[in-house]
Amino acid sequence: MRALKWICLIVLSVLSLFPFYIMLVMGTHYNEDLFKGIPLLPGSYVAENLRTVFESNFARVYGNSLLVSVGAVLLALLTSTTIGYAVAKFNFKGRRALQWFVVVTMMVPTQVGLIGYIIEMRQLGFGNTLWPVILTWAAFPFGAFFMIQFMRDSVPNDLLECARIDGCSEPGILFRIVMPIIKPGLATLSTLVFIWSWNNYLLPLVTINNSHWYTLPVFISNLGIVHRTDYAARMAALAMTTIPLLILFLLGSRTFMKGMTAGAVKG
Amino acid sequence: MQANQQARTSTGMLGRRRWGPLAWPYLFALPFVLAYAAFQLYPVVYSFILSLHDWNGIGAKTYIGFRNYEDLLTRDPLFFKSLSNTLIMMLMSIPATLIVGVLLAYWTFQLNKGRKLFQTVNFLPYITTPVAIGFIFSYLFDWQTGLINLVLLKFGWLTEGIYWLQGEWTSRMIIALMVVWRNLGYFMVIYIAGMTAIPQDVYEAAKIDGSTGFHTFTRITMPLLRNITVFLVVTSVINGLQLFDEPKLLYGGWSGSAQVGGPDNTALTVIWKFVDDSFISNTRFGYSSAIAYSLFVLIVLFSIISYKITAPKEDGR
Repeated sequence: MRALKWICLIVLSVLSLFPFYIMLVMGTHYNEDLFKGIPLLPGSYVAENLRTVFESNFARVYGNSLLVSVGAVLLALLTSTTIGYAVAKFNFKGRRALQWFVVVTMMVPTQVGLIGYIIEMRQLGFGNTLWPVILTWAAFPFGAFFMIQFMRDSVPNDLLECARIDGCSEPGILFRIVMPIIKPGLATLSTLVFIWSWNNYLLPLVTINNSHWYTLPVFISNLGIVHRTDYAARMAALAMTTIPLLILFLLGSRTFMKGMTAGAVKG
Repeated sequence: MQANQQARTSTGMLGRRRWGPLAWPYLFALPFVLAYAAFQLYPVVYSFILSLHDWNGIGAKTYIGFRNYEDLLTRDPLFFKSLSNTLIMMLMSIPATLIVGVLLAYWTFQLNKGRKLFQTVNFLPYITTPVAIGFIFSYLFDWQTGLINLVLLKFGWLTEGIYWLQGEWTSRMIIALMVVWRNLGYFMVIYIAGMTAIPQDVYEAAKIDGSTGFHTFTRITMPLLRNITVFLVVTSVINGLQLFDEPKLLYGGWSGSAQVGGPDNTALTVIWKFVDDSFISNTRFGYSSAIAYSLFVLIVLFSIISYKITAPKEDGR
């Protein structure tokens, strides 16, 4: 039984790792060699592939993607934390209604309003900019729900009372007292929003037609089509796209798991 | 409850001193509510109005009532085909992800050594860009140079390569596999989070009563994880019906060709059809909005059904 468990674990892990590994390896070979046989070991063509990648607009697009994800994380955290604080830690008329509202918004599929959203963005003059891809994170129902759950359990009411008696202003309490306590929650939510906005494919695909403002997923799926399809260069670019997320997750994985436990699960 | 009571009295006390405290919760809730109204609710309502019009995005809108829906449901066989494709791929992927996900969580959770390593490795696919997943899978399953065919041929399990990406069922299977591969780590993490929340004395009590491995898992762990299973099933039904990235990137992204729907439309999903009709092959904004709304109704329906099936009955939540 124990042996079986280990075999399954190892096989699953290898299957998880394998395509990822292939991506890294393919990025180190000469494109035309990829179709002669299966490369299992790293090749020696990395530098050339990287040059191909950076000769394109890659650096700029990378910047675009960073801008989008950082913007998305900041916006989503701000609105989620404030509404989370209000619903979890205040007693006021309409609290239950607000909580119900957040749950319902979580169920509404985002794609339903896609056309309306694009027309709205064009009317606001945001067509072919990064704004549509960022603003869609301004109200993030999952984040709001997550924060309500997280704050309810991890922020002690007594502490808030003390701060109020000491004459601390409400925004002061939120930013100076609550924020440090909910750091694991903020870290977890940031990681998730960063991953999701970084990998988002559909929205930039339909809102951005100007290669100047492409984000990574759309850019790479179009990379090198004009001259010759250079899969090896694409793989190198994809590896570079994935690595920041990997680092982010490795750095924060302990906090991430903690945050998941406290925020997402209690519901 | 007592704490809430306390909170109320103290807010009242402060209320005398400043106008602020009573308004603060509303002020704090405002950014989210406003942003939701502006960037989510307005587009959703606007799309519904569009779905009652005939509009190509440029010219004048013509009000045509529910004709778009009529056309969609009676004269567009491709809609039903895309719907059944989506459902088939969901049936292939969701149960598999759930079962393997919970096993993976259970096994790694018990480890003392290497726990973090296994969790990280299995979470890797979830952070991989879908574009990469599309490329990698179409490379692995390529008829001529793909690794899968080469291995199968080498071991003599096949006499000639299979056209994985061209087959009706194999193409759907590959997409389901991509979905499973990507989401497994996410399911694992959520289940592990749930297992962390189970108090250890429950297990100790079970051990004293003579419960072992498999029995403990099916009789204690799984029932306590019920809410999490419900959450995962409902969210993956909602997300599954909106499947787009995997099929689109398996066929569209790799070759640069704009082949829609895979071979003979067997991989066409509802959202792919929606995107294609509104932005790629066509600009029928009114008609596509009708597709989106029909999908919306189906998502509500299916999420209620999946909730009813999975949610515990006695537990009056």
